[in-house]
Amino acid sequence: MKKIIFTLLAILFSTLAFSHGPTPQKVQESVTIAASPEKTWEALKNYSEFEKIMKVRSFKDKLMKAKYELIKTDVPFSDYNAQIRVKKGENDNESVVQWTARFYRTYKLNPPIPEGQDDATAVAAVKEIVGPGLAGFKKSVESQ
Amino acid sequence: MVKQKKLSIFSLKASILFILTFFLIILYFYFSSYFEINNVSKAYITNQGDNTVSIIDLETLKTLKTLKVGVAPLGITILQKKKLVFVGNVGTDDISVIDAVNDTLIKTIKLGTAPLSIASNSEETEVYVTDWFQNNVLTISADEMKVTRRLKVGVTPSGIAYNKKYKYQVITNRDANTLEIYNEDDDLVKKIETGNHPFGVYSEGDFAYVANVYDDSVSIINLVDWSKYEFMVGAHPYNVRVHNKIAYVTNTIDDTITIYDLGSKKIIKTLDTGETPENLDFNIKQNLLVVTNWGGDSVSIFDTESFQHIKEIKTGAQSRSFGDFILQ
Repeated sequence: MKKIIFTLLAILFSTLAFSHGPTPQKVQESVTIAASPEKTWEALKNYSEFEKIMKVRSFKDKLMKAKYELIKTDVPFSDYNAQIRVKKGENDNESVVQWTARFYRTYKLNPPIPEGQDDATAVAAVKEIVGPGLAGFKKSVESQ
Repeated sequence: MVKQKKLSIFSLKASILFILTFFLIILYFYFSSYFEINNVSKAYITNQGDNTVSIIDLETLKTLKTLKVGVAPLGITILQKKKLVFVGNVGTDDISVIDAVNDTLIKTIKLGTAPLSIASNSEETEVYVTDWFQNNVLTISADEMKVTRRLKVGVTPSGIAYNKKYKYQVITNRDANTLEIYNEDDDLVKKIETGNHPFGVYSEGDFAYVANVYDDSVSIINLVDWSKYEFMVGAHPYNVRVHNKIAYVTNTIDDTITIYDLGSKKIIKTLDTGETPENLDFNIKQNLLVVTNWGGDSVSIFDTESFQHIKEIKTGAQSRSFGDFILQ
């Protein structure tokens, strides 16, 4: 049993050690909203909560796609760019909102990577923004 | 009598000619089927998010195979004559070599450092790899399949291109905003300033083309008189390639490619791609442009004659293919 645990730990740590390199990180999450894509898209354009964290770079009505840059500075990730898309859901009164974020960890030099500046920390921090962000937006649109 | 003789010679010639033609036709069919089997053009897509390479048949536009490679594959180059694909894994610090005839992994070359981008010389005897962390360009012998040379270069060597005309290795130093040009003897021919954050590079004839990520521009550098000029593209360009005197540039934040005519120095067209387009390469025979979409986990395929979008094909996660990735 000890041996198995040791082996598992060894595998875990070896993969952690491998996760360096100048690799962009990705967080992509979706939420289904009970409103037509058109209604959701209009709501997104007028939604002020996201703009507390991010600045709008562009809105493309035709593709129902919004691009954002980060305005928050005290974050454990860097070079963040995101886009939010509104797509058709399974029926006319349903839409899927997808948030894709691309970013890097803060530490860009040779390993060893200092604690709190690694890929895992960066991914966790972005997930903290994306998940609750989408949930809040869903609530806002569905209560309208 | 004379006439008859002539006639018989003629018919003899005619029958020889007939037999020869017959043979040629058979030979033609025999070899054409041979070539068809062995000359399927394919795109090799490195999926950094799931440690695989998607292999796409560019005639049927279908995924043939998804091959497991090292961790976090990024850079790639193809030895067209030898039919070998070199893939750089930044997570495992090694190179996966794929046999492009059977599409199987035939070798893993240990580097001990993160390979970023890959190129090869015209003879396909050497493969060059930029070593991001330790500021080297490593040379791999394609016959021995091991590192045979290590060249110290400037900081953060990122993109690498091989210029066939001058036998130069052309390297972008991302964080130093420079382009370095080395000759066959590993001598630094020139170090020249680029725009801000140079990443992807392409070099052909007398020129090198560099995508300046933070300047939203491409620098064109003359390798003879070292003059340069820039043209503006979309947001955060990542790579640039030239085909038939037209430059194609991926704009990662805009989800577009800029198509720029090098003759008239004008943008011809801006096309929508999938999410976060990063790299691009051409299929020469069928005039196809293939763009990898990191955000969309897909490739977008366009016709380079009509600039029409043909198809978006799903790949593995975070498709990148930094380098030349199409087997012609």
